[in-house]
Amino acid sequence: MNEPSEGRLGRRLRRILVLLPYAIKHPGVTIEELSNKFGVKAEDLLDDLDLVFMCGLPGYGPGDLIDVSIDEDRVYITMADYFSAPLRLTPAEALAIYAAGAPLVDLPDMKDADALRRALGKLGKALGMDGASGTAGIDVELERGSVEHLEKLQAALGMGHRVHIEYRSATRGAMSERDVDPWALIAALGRWYLVAHDHLSGEERMFRLDRIKDVMVLDQAAPVPEDFDPARYKGGFRGGDEEPVMSMEISPEVARWFSEYYPIRVAEDLSDGWSRVELTASGEVWAATLLLQLGTGVRNVEPKQLMEAAGDLANSIAANHA
Amino acid sequence: MRRIERLINLIAALLNAERPMTAQEIRERIAGYDQANFEAFRRAFERDKEALRSMGVPLEMRPSGRDGILDQPDAYIIPKERYYLPQIDLEPDEVAALRLASDAVLGGAENAAAGFAKLSVDSAPASWTRPRVMWGADVAVEQPMLGPLYSAVLDRTPVTFEYQPADGNKRKRELEPYGLVHKRGNWYVVGRDVDRDDVRAFRVSRIASGISLSDGTFDVPDGFDAASHLGGEPYEVGPGAPTTAVVRFAPVLRWWAEQNLRSGTSRGLHDGSLEVEIPVANLDALISWVIGFGTGIEIVAPEEARRALVEHLAPFLAGSR
Repeated sequence: MNEPSEGRLGRRLRRILVLLPYAIKHPGVTIEELSNKFGVKAEDLLDDLDLVFMCGLPGYGPGDLIDVSIDEDRVYITMADYFSAPLRLTPAEALAIYAAGAPLVDLPDMKDADALRRALGKLGKALGMDGASGTAGIDVELERGSVEHLEKLQAALGMGHRVHIEYRSATRGAMSERDVDPWALIAALGRWYLVAHDHLSGEERMFRLDRIKDVMVLDQAAPVPEDFDPARYKGGFRGGDEEPVMSMEISPEVARWFSEYYPIRVAEDLSDGWSRVELTASGEVWAATLLLQLGTGVRNVEPKQLMEAAGDLANSIAANHA
Repeated sequence: MRRIERLINLIAALLNAERPMTAQEIRERIAGYDQANFEAFRRAFERDKEALRSMGVPLEMRPSGRDGILDQPDAYIIPKERYYLPQIDLEPDEVAALRLASDAVLGGAENAAAGFAKLSVDSAPASWTRPRVMWGADVAVEQPMLGPLYSAVLDRTPVTFEYQPADGNKRKRELEPYGLVHKRGNWYVVGRDVDRDDVRAFRVSRIASGISLSDGTFDVPDGFDAASHLGGEPYEVGPGAPTTAVVRFAPVLRWWAEQNLRSGTSRGLHDGSLEVEIPVANLDALISWVIGFGTGIEIVAPEEARRALVEHLAPFLAGSR
């Protein structure tokens, strides 16, 4: 199903195959309830029901067609016993739920963790993976720093309180103290982040939990923006256009893995096998650290001052190892 | 008749059929297959089969069991036991918790929502006030190889694929996939490498070709723990023979080691710094890890690792450029 039209058709068919069992199991369910449940507009739902009304078993006489009646907004579907249970989960569907549920289960102090653990256990059994590991064949491992910090942040989020944190900033390579208004905990790139409004910079920031040295919950309300959308943090990067950009050339060996770890804005293959890349530079110390890590696998860095910063940092590290 | 109606009719008929239907029967009896000739019917039917299979409908081909029909020996059915979601009996609080999880998915949200709709088919249509979302989980489930790999894990079917290691040439691998692990932001498939007869982990993003299914099946060893076959820190995994290195965290960074380094013997020094022994099998990865801490950490031993770090930094040192 590659064409866009096939995608739409697939989505609609997928919805109908679960809408039917739902309406059959809940006779008299209202259009509004169905519309809420499946997240579709009432008119699309009525279209679906119209369509189903034309379908059924070979013969296609009155006794073979699916019977749909709508009585004052209440829906009744009969003559479709074979559609009274949904299609089993596809591996991709099960994986999406399981992989998102697994990190939440491991959060300390998660009030729904027990119910979620039971639910995932039942799902694992239904998928035929109730083996000794009890993981349904999926493990999700996330760096989360100190459990106590995570507990405090969860509590602050639940109450909507501001927190004071001590944080090791990679952009400056130094410790900092700041008040932040927590918005959400986001798991991305294999670790947990705190998304928050940072009162030190006056901006929204992501903080790696493993770099938080200490957390203190303050007795001050911390509002979350009305339009806050966790989906913006997919990939763990916020990538604003106003951020400074660096450019450099990387060797073929570095190019093999580089794009999996760093968000490249522009990439260009050079004639000698190296590649030129552009990416957001999250501060001078961050960029200098990256350059030193790449070693001889990087050249022609712009802006040039980043090479000077890398040189200063290299001298300090080398002095420690003289 | 629209194609979606034909697809619903096809599912209804094959799900309800007592015995497999031949292609000829499907053409004659199922509404929507009124193509002018058998060739046109065949093309439409092939496309429909593909569409249904890609959304997980178990449309199976069986021998028709009827003699004398040589030009159309195949027949089709959707086995009820493979189509229907088994009874799962979720409690209301379990459904609510699954809803929380499927709402937290970043990437692959459509699959999570579709899965949740199926799992919550028994729960009453109570009005649902959506709680404020406090979590998001981006575990990269939209990576396209994962679905087919997970399918093979669930069905216990061996797979073959071309694999591109970080250092080395692409090679064909045959694997009995025991499980999937998400670690450091990457997905790995862990299982028995058939040629080496040993458990190996492969990074899913380095699988260079499509995955093809092999014949046969396999058993997963009792108590198998897929995650234990992936190394811990990057410096612990590598080509070199494992040795022990000692690193010293400056007082200002001591908390980081105490909070995040789980393994290794450590020793606090009177100046407030902390020395930690760590297992190292990959010197390059150790150097990269140490640089990440700037001046907050020092390699104490072995001498060879100290030298390697300074050599690595040499191109950047004053006077060299």
